[in-house]
Amino acid sequence: MSAILEVTNVTRRFAGLVAVSDISFTLGQGEILGVIGPNGAGKTTLVSLISGTLRPTSGDIVFEGMRITGLAAYRRARLGIGRTFQIMRPFPGLSVLDNVAVGALFGHGSGESDLAKARDKARTQLEFVGLGKFASQRAEELGGPNRKRLELAKALAMQPKVLLCDEVMAGLNLVEIDEVIDVLRKIRESGISILVIEHVIKAIKRLSDRLLVLHHGDKIADGQPDAVLSNSKVIEAYLGRRRA
Amino acid sequence: MTASRLGVAVAIVAVVAVLATVPLFSSDVIVQFGINALLLAVLAQGWNIIGGYTGYASFGNSVFYGLGSYGVAIAMVQWNLPFAVGMIFGAGLAVAFAFLLGVPVLRLKGHYFAIATLGLAQVMSAIVSNIGIAGQNIGLVLPPLNNDHLFYELSLGLLVIATLTVFWLTRSRFGFGLIAIRENEEGAAVMGVNTTLYKVLAFALSGVFTALAGGIHAYWITFLDPDSAFDISLNVKMIIMAVFGGPGTVLGPVLGAFVLSAVSEILSSKVTNLAGLFFGAVVVAAVVLMPRGVADVMRQFRTAGWRYFVENLRAHRI
Ligand SMILES: Nc1ncnc2c1ncn2[C@@H]1O[C@H](COP(=O)(O)OP(=O)(O)OP(=O)(O)O)[C@@H](O)[C@H]1O
Ligand SMILES: [Mg+2]
Repeated sequence: MSAILEVTNVTRRFAGLVAVSDISFTLGQGEILGVIGPNGAGKTTLVSLISGTLRPTSGDIVFEGMRITGLAAYRRARLGIGRTFQIMRPFPGLSVLDNVAVGALFGHGSGESDLAKARDKARTQLEFVGLGKFASQRAEELGGPNRKRLELAKALAMQPKVLLCDEVMAGLNLVEIDEVIDVLRKIRESGISILVIEHVIKAIKRLSDRLLVLHHGDKIADGQPDAVLSNSKVIEAYLGRRRA
Repeated sequence: MTASRLGVAVAIVAVVAVLATVPLFSSDVIVQFGINALLLAVLAQGWNIIGGYTGYASFGNSVFYGLGSYGVAIAMVQWNLPFAVGMIFGAGLAVAFAFLLGVPVLRLKGHYFAIATLGLAQVMSAIVSNIGIAGQNIGLVLPPLNNDHLFYELSLGLLVIATLTVFWLTRSRFGFGLIAIRENEEGAAVMGVNTTLYKVLAFALSGVFTALAGGIHAYWITFLDPDSAFDISLNVKMIIMAVFGGPGTVLGPVLGAFVLSAVSEILSSKVTNLAGLFFGAVVVAAVVLMPRGVADVMRQFRTAGWRYFVENLRAHRI
């Protein structure tokens, strides 16, 4: 499997704190890579470094063979990197449909210039994530689970090559989690490579081809989900958190 | 186009047509009031682009106004060029200013942006006071043109163009980018919006209309000096008018400008001193009714409508 995204020795410091410490990994073409780790492990920071809302203190990020380490976030979006936010921040005053239309208007390859066509594409994505009937509602009126779906639809409307999902299943019930897993599998079938951060271990184990574990900014494991989850360091990291 | 849309369009064309004929049957006083109200509406509409649609509450728009005024004055007085060339020159100065200062200033958010722009007019006034071809602190006297009908129609034409531009924003990719920036700037960037470029372009577009209004005004009153050209209270007025009428809407700022101009005019004809107090009163009302500032009104008004103000009043326990 050839890599679409290569992260090499990436470190990010905040004042004294090392949020991400010398991390290297690859995301394969068409792969679903799960990223887990206790709170504060550096997962969201890693997504921000790849999507460009944060710059690494050191290290390199290569997308499709091109170095994107210092590139502005909007240019990464246009190259085909889409992300969702853990702390969901839709465009609150816009309709659900127009939230997604922004992704179609800009996004990968700099998008669709015609507003009507962008809205058509947005509607397709809303149907796909199951938000079709909320299209004309204001985004701020959506409840939690639907906001998660909206985050996904916004990123998908950009027609990305890589999708970075930051806890799109948090706060969902079991049925909803199954639905999202289904949606993510379909996204992968359409040729999009996915990096997915999740706390729900059961769900991510089912979904991922490979698992990456972060702890205090360090990568402590990377490999087959079953092997990684029985790794003693990983068990310790999670048990340690429970004891604390 | 749906039937109701068509109805609105027809009504607006009719209103513009009626407004265009006003000078034919009105007194000089009314025409002069009209010129002022139309130019203020252009200013409110210009501010609407950067403040209402992009979410950046600019106090730097009076700089655009001053640059437009001086552009026309310098071109006509010092270089003997026609008025139209002066207008283009003034608009060009505004665009240059938007690019030079927009890039650093638009990095700031919220109050910081407002405060940073607040100082710009003062600085420009001081600079212009020391420039020879701008008449230093004495100012410039333009060749008089006693044709208020023409100034009225020019102002109306400019307002129509500014409003059509804002209408285009609401249905263009560019305008969607601006709204996305207002609603959530980081979210816009990760979806592919070139936020720095879009903000500067919005600032420049806002500046062009503001400068053109300043240019018309300068030629009309035939005199300008640094203090009146770079007057920050004019900036406050345009914000009040836009916010009163509805920022981030196509017609709101125009209606706001018309209504507040009319009220101010009626007050000044009844009691001379009251008009001066009027905008002060509007500011006090603004503080009471919208204590979380312009940005919050812009966010909440579209959802809550007038209820927003009632709720704020309640919160003050008045
Ligand atoms: N902008 C910031 N400034 C300072 N410190 C930050 C910033 N962002 C994150 N951090 C710190 O970096 C560390 C990693 O945070 P991050 O949000 O990446 O963790 P996470 O793995 O996503 O956690 P969670 O599971 O709670 O979402 C934390 O200690 C956090 O407090
Ligand atoms: Mg996180």
